[in-house]
Amino acid sequence: MTTKRTARAWKHASLHLAMVAVSFCMLLPFYWVLKTSLTGENIFVYPPSVVPVHPHPFYYVDVWYYIPFPRYLLNSVVVSALSIAANVVFNALAAYALTRHFRGRGAIITVLLSCMMIPFQTTIVPAYLITAKLGLLNSYLGLALPTFSTIVCIFVYKASFEAVPRSLIDAARIDGLSELAIIRRIMLPLATSAVATNVVLSFIWSWNNFLWPLIIVRDPLMQTLPLGLSRFLSYHENTTGALYAFCIMVLAPGILLFLMAQKEFIRGLTSGATKG
Amino acid sequence: MTRSMLLRAVRHRFVAVPLAIAVAVAAWNVYVAAHDDGIVRGEVVGPDGRPVAGATVTMMEQNFTTNSDRGKTLTRDDGSFEFTDNRSHNIQLRAEKPGVGRSDRVVVRLYFQAQNVTLHEPLRIKAGS
Repeated sequence: MTTKRTARAWKHASLHLAMVAVSFCMLLPFYWVLKTSLTGENIFVYPPSVVPVHPHPFYYVDVWYYIPFPRYLLNSVVVSALSIAANVVFNALAAYALTRHFRGRGAIITVLLSCMMIPFQTTIVPAYLITAKLGLLNSYLGLALPTFSTIVCIFVYKASFEAVPRSLIDAARIDGLSELAIIRRIMLPLATSAVATNVVLSFIWSWNNFLWPLIIVRDPLMQTLPLGLSRFLSYHENTTGALYAFCIMVLAPGILLFLMAQKEFIRGLTSGATKG
Repeated sequence: MTRSMLLRAVRHRFVAVPLAIAVAVAAWNVYVAAHDDGIVRGEVVGPDGRPVAGATVTMMEQNFTTNSDRGKTLTRDDGSFEFTDNRSHNIQLRAEKPGVGRSDRVVVRLYFQAQNVTLHEPLRIKAGS
């Protein structure tokens, strides 16, 4: 019995040791970026200092003032908020429809799954033309439009909605709720993990989007943070500390949102993966 | 909504974290608004460590790639000087007096634009420089 317990303890210890090692490898680049943003130490310095030497926050101040960072931040926040709101609503509507039985449902699911294999770069020209026809070039709505609904997020919702007992929906319908009210008052409250996953994924995709804003934005004041980063690089090459500070400032909101929603996010991704 | 429900909602991390950030940002902005008159104070001393009157102190604003003069002032009898129109967060100061010498450029980094600051170390004019 004791031998079995010892063996299990060793197994746990070695597993944790391996996980610590992997975490260390994953987190080391982040630590290095943070350290460089506080010291400005050139990445090629040898021997490199592991602990920050004379750290200070002034590279962050430089980034804030040398480029219109607050404006870029505002643009990114507005675009991401639009994208999140649209994803949470539109994906829920689409997913709810896909949980119902109707003729052609299988074909629609097949088409959606097939479309996931088409990279955005291949559809960027028609997307640009449609946005131009709508008169949305150089606008927040135009920036957010292609990320308004994502197929992965529809399936995250669908998996979560399918876990809701059919009898509950039937009871709601008997009580006189419309389909929209069923989604709003029954499905969404029971699928908070899926909502969190939609929020996190749509935020990250919208926040990091570079190609689409690069194509449709002409006014420098409508640029988002990834475009600002590229503009920042074009100003001057030797700005190691400020560049890394910029990277931290771009990454921080995404990391914060993920840390806040990670429990629901993981649950949302894995819901529907197992039965029972 | 009852008080307990409100408290529970505020304690939820999706509300508490943005709220805490908003409070911190508001507090920081209040602090900035109260300390952004653009006043830069300091003192100039000679090679012997004594205050130098009538020395010219030049303030330069550092940009990404360039430095540009933003103003000059003369030190008072006690060697002190004051600029009241700094709009930058990254400046350099240098003092010089004909016949005495010139100090090194001193970089002054500020936490926000036009932050009021008093130099802890005097600008030290070097003899013969």
